[in-house]
Amino acid sequence: MSGVRALRSFKLVNAGSVDEAARILAEGNAWPLAGGTDIIHLLRFRVLPDGMYPDVLVNLKTISPSLEYINYQDGVLRIGALTKLSAISRDAAVKERFAALAAAAGSVGSPQIRNVATVGGDIAQFPRGWYFRKPDNRFHCLRKGGDTCYARTGDNRYHSIFGEINGCVAVNMSDVAPALVALDAEIVTNKRTIRAEDFWDVRVPRSTVLEQDEVMLEIRIPAPPRGARSSFEKFAVRKAIDFPIVNGAALIGDGLARIVLNAVYPVPYRARKAEEILRGRTDAINEELAEEAADAAVSGAVPLAYNGWKVQVARSIVKRLILPGTRR
Amino acid sequence: MSGIVGAVEERRVIKININGREYEFEIGVDIQPGTTLFELLRSRVGLRSVRDACLGDGSCGACTVLVDGDPVLSCMMLAADCHNRKVETVEGIAREGHPLIDAFAKNYAYQCGYEAPAFIVTAKALLDKNPNPSEEEIVEALSGIISRAGVYPAVISAVEDAAEALRKRGVS
Ligand SMILES: Cc1cc2nc3c(=O)[nH]c(=O)nc-3n(C[C@H](O)[C@H](O)[C@H](O)COP(=O)(O)OP(=O)(O)OC[C@H]3O[C@@H](n4cnc5c(N)ncnc54)[C@H](O)[C@@H]3O)c2cc1C
Ligand code: FES
Repeated sequence: MSGVRALRSFKLVNAGSVDEAARILAEGNAWPLAGGTDIIHLLRFRVLPDGMYPDVLVNLKTISPSLEYINYQDGVLRIGALTKLSAISRDAAVKERFAALAAAAGSVGSPQIRNVATVGGDIAQFPRGWYFRKPDNRFHCLRKGGDTCYARTGDNRYHSIFGEINGCVAVNMSDVAPALVALDAEIVTNKRTIRAEDFWDVRVPRSTVLEQDEVMLEIRIPAPPRGARSSFEKFAVRKAIDFPIVNGAALIGDGLARIVLNAVYPVPYRARKAEEILRGRTDAINEELAEEAADAAVSGAVPLAYNGWKVQVARSIVKRLILPGTRR
Repeated sequence: MSGIVGAVEERRVIKININGREYEFEIGVDIQPGTTLFELLRSRVGLRSVRDACLGDGSCGACTVLVDGDPVLSCMMLAADCHNRKVETVEGIAREGHPLIDAFAKNYAYQCGYEAPAFIVTAKALLDKNPNPSEEEIVEALSGIISRAGVYPAVISAVEDAAEALRKRGVS
């Protein structure tokens, strides 16, 4: 016998068009279904309280024309929301001009997960904090409509080092998210265009600003200026099948600096003080300047009882983003 | 809600080619919308090489199978999403007489053998695309599978041997 639990039951609808998907989503307790890797986890382990599960999953993979594509033209990269992470990590144009995104997509989970997980699903993934994810809704935390963030007084070694949002200190674990913010991407939905910076939120139980009947269609990214270089760094215990402990992405050069950390705050965290130090000085980057910027990046840290060590990790990630090849 | 229920209660037949054989499953009768590929392969088709070591958390890789030639976690995939697709497990790969099977045996690339099917199917997908992989490429391709016994070095040798056997076959 195998110990793998059956999924909590649901109805499955194959949407033929974006309009049809939106219509069904608007009608009731329905969720969009992309690769399904995050949704399956929630339904198998009964992570949520009763009443918070979807009755219906609306399969977006049957939408025509397909939302799975990568297209670089006239200085703009367009990636369909259903594009698999493996395709993004291997795409020649993405690797050449949007290196941070290729590296971020290629660092998610394992090859098997990247062959199924989509870019839209990665940036909309549900919280991964261990109190939230404990099977059978063992901890009915704030993000599930409860009144306690268990991580504040419990084991918070992997939680936020920059404080809470709406009382929650669970971090956003997406690898792709910081790359999109660093590259100043836009997320195009059936309703609006959202700047990557404004895309995440702390809600019950979701992590994005998406509305009930809102479907992500495309990620749009302008090509960085010629003199700028983007990069991604991830610190995790293992190289494969491991979420970030801290990750980060940057776009630096041509006087410009955008530096974004993730897994350090409930939403991706822009290291603005570090950016200010580098702004206009990207031609003069050296060890000293990188140290100064890395210190500034974590100057607002307010670590919890058990995660002071993450401040040092975050600082190192920022330094590596600024000075490729550094080991500290 | 009535509109939704109407749309979904319509029965749908899922056709999947599993190890070269065509199967049909009716949603609502043979399987449920939430039946995963893992459950389908083990319980409905009886392919016991498809295993779990993490209760379906996505974190062990033991349940890996090929869907249209790509390694995926069968525990993290809905059977309904495999409609009109081709699924391969180690049973099919062994039946083809793939040299990976011999190479795994000769290199003792397992202790208990629990995750060996996952390694073999994943290596098969790699060799289909890249007949002469470097050690680094082998390690990357197989990085999603955990071996508690740590047989990784023997697995790498086995994949290298199988690659060589395939290249020789191609020549003769
Ligand atoms: C073992 C394991 C390891 C992992 N490691 C990492 C890691 O290292 N780094 C990392 O970043 N992630 C990691 N993940 C998380 C993984 O990246 C996500 O599960 C995956 O990206 C989700 O994508 P999906 O297409 O499968 O989404 P789904 O499960 O289909 O959907 C996830 C959420 O996004 C919503 N959604 C999806 N697409 C759309 C759309 N187009 N419009 C509106 N809403 C949408 C869904 O409704 C749902 O709420 C890991 C997961 C596992 C199981
Ligand atoms: S059972 Fe462990 S990854 Fe599927």
